[in-house]
Amino acid sequence: MMKIQSMADLVQACESEEKTIGEMMLMMEAKKTGKGKETIISMMEERLIKMKEAIDDGIKDDSTAPSGLSGGDAVRMNGYMNQGKPLSGQYISHAMTFSLATSESNARMGVIVATPTAGAAGVLPGVLFSLHKNDGTSYKDLVMGLFTASMLGYVIANRSFISGAAGGCQAEVGSATAMAAGTIVELKGGTPKQAVNATAIAMKSLLGLVCDPVAGLVEVPCIKRNVMGTSIAFSAADLALAGIESRIPCDEVIEAMYKIGKDMPRTLRETALGGLAMTETGKKAKERLFRKKT
Amino acid sequence: MEFQSCFDIIGPIMVGPSSSHTAGVVSIGKFTHQLLGCCPEKAIIIFYDSFAETYQGHGTDKALLGGLLGMDTDDSRIKYAIDLTKQYGMSYEIRLEDRCPYFEHPNTTVITVKQGDCVVKIGGASLGGGLSKIFMINEETVDIRLSAGDDFAALANHCQSRSDLMVKAL
Repeated sequence: MMKIQSMADLVQACESEEKTIGEMMLMMEAKKTGKGKETIISMMEERLIKMKEAIDDGIKDDSTAPSGLSGGDAVRMNGYMNQGKPLSGQYISHAMTFSLATSESNARMGVIVATPTAGAAGVLPGVLFSLHKNDGTSYKDLVMGLFTASMLGYVIANRSFISGAAGGCQAEVGSATAMAAGTIVELKGGTPKQAVNATAIAMKSLLGLVCDPVAGLVEVPCIKRNVMGTSIAFSAADLALAGIESRIPCDEVIEAMYKIGKDMPRTLRETALGGLAMTETGKKAKERLFRKKT
Repeated sequence: MEFQSCFDIIGPIMVGPSSSHTAGVVSIGKFTHQLLGCCPEKAIIIFYDSFAETYQGHGTDKALLGGLLGMDTDDSRIKYAIDLTKQYGMSYEIRLEDRCPYFEHPNTTVITVKQGDCVVKIGGASLGGGLSKIFMINEETVDIRLSAGDDFAALANHCQSRSDLMVKAL
């Protein structure tokens, strides 16, 4: 089996072996670790179940996070969605609700699954459980979707970065959204090439996004950026499934993300020294929190 | 190629709020715990750069202390780690510095732990997504990759004999 170091390698390997991206990841993991495929699948299934538990907890918990900065919005969004006809439709509004539930749980120091990070943990579960809710995608397929997502994330992480401190929010919510977009395409029967195009399109739309958390907490604006990520993931997936390609190849988009992250000033890479963290309201929140703590 | 497994990307299962500032740091603490073979009685923790700026918000201190007490990334007691240090008889001190002189990464920490005659100094970086790297044991450069699912006891045993020698020299 060839070594996969780029999205170009990945598409080529999938095409020549007639495998999906998810199957390719599973094969690679089995080969690297010597573990049986069933063992690996059950480990991934455990992660899917934890994601579902975080959603189930978050969707009915309207308590405020210890910081006082977040909480209650998942319940609010769920109520709105169930009451009326959300403008963004069933797929996206469910994904938005589930994403809020996950990211709010994360802010409460609840148990979540990093996908690829905790700061971006809302995007993928939001998208996956929306597919489950709206078109009955089975848990078995969702688990395969997690293999698809991890393969896309694996290439991104090794060619660029996935932490806000290293590369800004584009590296976190950007990578998560890109992974989610490609995963939707594969779960909806698109080709590996289409999945990689969706990945590129989603990532392009978040290039340059800075990491500027208020008071250094993974809450404002992180939680709502996860929510927006789900919506971008569905849009990018639709474009790719329509046969639209990214004019810039995915590997070059990832390289651009890397270079932008390197150029980003330290103040905008998770240090809470710039952007929204340094707005009037952001600064007040920080003062209030740290005065209370010390 | 720092990321090697699908579970480096999907995972770890962890308490929030940050994989690099919480989960990855729990692993650095846990490795240190395993290397020492127990909870330290004293720990001097230096947080650099991004860790120094945002540790309170991300619970980086709780994460590291939880790891030093022997907890895993998904241990729901991590949020109470500061109180638990008293119960475990561990004293600690946190120092904040700008840039790590040993390793180029914004999320780095150097921890010196003491238990009886044994003193160990560990340098760790949290690479993102819960993945970490130990880059220094005492003054020696090492490259030990930590992922939440790894067997930390085995990893620590692997470098135990060498670090024992180093400890006596301190």
